[in-house]
Amino acid sequence: MVQPITYIAHFDLDSFFYSVEVLNNPELAGKAVIVGGSRERGVVTTCSYEARKFGVHSAMPMKKAVELCPHAILVRGSHGQYGKFSKWVTDIIASKAPKFQKASIDEFYLDLTGMDKFFNPFQWTIELRQLIMDETRLPISFGLASNKLVAKIATDEAKPNGYLFIQHGKEKDFLAPLPVKKIPGVGTHTLSVLNEMGIELIGDILRLPKNELENRLGKWGLELWDKAQGLHHSTVSEWREAKSISTENTFETNTNDVEFLLSELIRMTERVAFELRQDEKLAGCIAVKIRYPNFETTSKQTTIDYTFRDDEFIPVAKDLFHQLYKKGTPVRLLGVRLSDFANITMQGNLFDDVSRKSNLYKAIDNIKLKYGKNYLAKGRSIK
Amino acid sequence: MKFIVSSSALLKHLQQINGVINANTVLPILEDFLFEIEDKKLTVVATDLETVMGVQMDVESKTDGKICIPARILMDSLKNISDQPLTFNIDKNFSVEITSDNGKYKMMGENPDNFPKAPEADDANNFTVTSSALLNGINKTLFAVSNDDLRPAMTGIFFELSKNAVQFVATDAHRLVRYKRTDATNANADSFIVPKKPLNLLKNALPDNDDEITVSYNNNHFFVTHGETRLSCRLIDARFPDYKVVIPADNPYKLTVNRTDFQSALRRINIFSNKSTNQVVLSINGSELQLTAQDVDFSSEGNERMNCEYDGEDLQIAFNAKFLIELLNASESENVVVELSTPNKAGIIKPTEKEENEELLMLVMPLMLNV
Repeated sequence: MVQPITYIAHFDLDSFFYSVEVLNNPELAGKAVIVGGSRERGVVTTCSYEARKFGVHSAMPMKKAVELCPHAILVRGSHGQYGKFSKWVTDIIASKAPKFQKASIDEFYLDLTGMDKFFNPFQWTIELRQLIMDETRLPISFGLASNKLVAKIATDEAKPNGYLFIQHGKEKDFLAPLPVKKIPGVGTHTLSVLNEMGIELIGDILRLPKNELENRLGKWGLELWDKAQGLHHSTVSEWREAKSISTENTFETNTNDVEFLLSELIRMTERVAFELRQDEKLAGCIAVKIRYPNFETTSKQTTIDYTFRDDEFIPVAKDLFHQLYKKGTPVRLLGVRLSDFANITMQGNLFDDVSRKSNLYKAIDNIKLKYGKNYLAKGRSIK
Repeated sequence: MKFIVSSSALLKHLQQINGVINANTVLPILEDFLFEIEDKKLTVVATDLETVMGVQMDVESKTDGKICIPARILMDSLKNISDQPLTFNIDKNFSVEITSDNGKYKMMGENPDNFPKAPEADDANNFTVTSSALLNGINKTLFAVSNDDLRPAMTGIFFELSKNAVQFVATDAHRLVRYKRTDATNANADSFIVPKKPLNLLKNALPDNDDEITVSYNNNHFFVTHGETRLSCRLIDARFPDYKVVIPADNPYKLTVNRTDFQSALRRINIFSNKSTNQVVLSINGSELQLTAQDVDFSSEGNERMNCEYDGEDLQIAFNAKFLIELLNASESENVVVELSTPNKAGIIKPTEKEENEELLMLVMPLMLNV
């Protein structure tokens, strides 16, 4: 059997969070804008292309970004908004594409293999992009190629606000002149090893024998060699339900105030439990994460009877916290995660009226939905 | 100190108490057995500070004395030595030398004076039951004990004594088993909770026969002696939940089924159930019991019908199949009767025939759909 020619499109919303902010506040358009956390301790989530010119990029500490681009307008992200726009784009893609994967809040892979019998896939993708931009007014770029890797790199080259089609068989020619760091997975460590070997461009990798790369980088070397040729076999896996719900908080200042940490823990547990109930799920596993100022990160999890109730999560979360916490040490970040979901089927309890409690949580959630998530909280978590 | 002992007899005795020793202990001496010789009787003791277990055996020895020997290395070597007399030689510095036909082995022991003291049976009350009665009491209830450390009261078996009777009660809040023996002599109204671990050890040490066993207890500890074996442990210091109020007084609908047929059907159906809930729905219409399970995520489903005797209105109720299978295991009767009321209230399972001097009652909460 002849393998069908594969067509994979990679869509990426251009500086997504910034674009959303501009929609909300048109005055930001065309200015150097940095979206991110607090000035002292946060990191850059995204920035406008005007700010990128000064060397600002996402994941950079906010402090450094402000130094590089002092005149930039700082915007605190509003996460709910982003989710809404992301879902809007997802819905449009879902209505058109036969098979797609949501890789992150602003990234999508579409498998268009087989469509070439009926349409010109390139033309089809251009039309989809136009549709997304007309409806949402968000700029989006795409790359179309024979696999996910090349498509993603093509999108990167097409940005901002553009598109690129890498013809089948032209993958190597396209990749060769690009710097090696364009390959996803090549970080600072790999980069320094490669530079040491005299490799700057993706094309340089292909001039080396495969095993030399393996000697220096192990298994990853082999993978990298394949990637440099534009070979990649990962498939577009369709969108799946969330496997966990989590929240975490980096504190403005490190703290070892146990009372405060516990109240935060309760607040966060209530929050994830609320999300869980909105998804109409039960969770069978809860985890607590603590990060100390030296970035040492520890976490501990435990299985519990399936539940959606705050009053069952909270004692377990507190217990995990006490097991985990190194007494007296300041804490930088605290997080809670629920996982191992099951559908709503409650195991009855002999000593605890399950249905009365679920009515209570229904009432609590109705209030939260009407007046906001923070309208109602346990006394313990209010500061 | 010097003694001669049969390698296989020593191994057999040590295996009875080896389970007491925890893999990760805080105190290094808790990784040791305490060997103590008095008048040609060797007593070996193991403890984890909560549970203390000892065995006794005859040895050849001219002197008395005691020593702590590392359990792991001793067990490992005994397992690999063929049956033969072994000579143990212990010097003043607690160095242990074992001589066998094959050669000599040396290891470092520890000062026996540092070994934790076993609790004394002060102010103890006691009652007497047969070994098989105690064994049954443990076997029929231990599986229902909770593992939830946040609710310590449920992590052991509740011993509830009354005039010449003892009830063994265990629950994890989802199901409950109560096994009553009416042949406990000298028992008087009293109650205490014994943790899971020592009962598990006891279960393996007791014979299933009519040997008389004296069970003693005081405010803090529980003591059992049988022949050469003795066990003591700390009681769980918590209040057992008031379980009597949750036993439904009158569940009007009665389903009678063959126990093994019902259990086999549940085992088969459960293979196709959702792995996180093990949900099996029982639909009872007239004299037909239908069992169904499905796992939407993997598109698997199972469906069986079996005959039953049923006295009540048609009913649909869901249970965790694992719970039912385990509960049915605790009964030995040919048929069981399941007493039900509504789909969100506890069901009662009872054997239809019972042995003399015993009474078994099991409770299980259903799975509630869309609460």
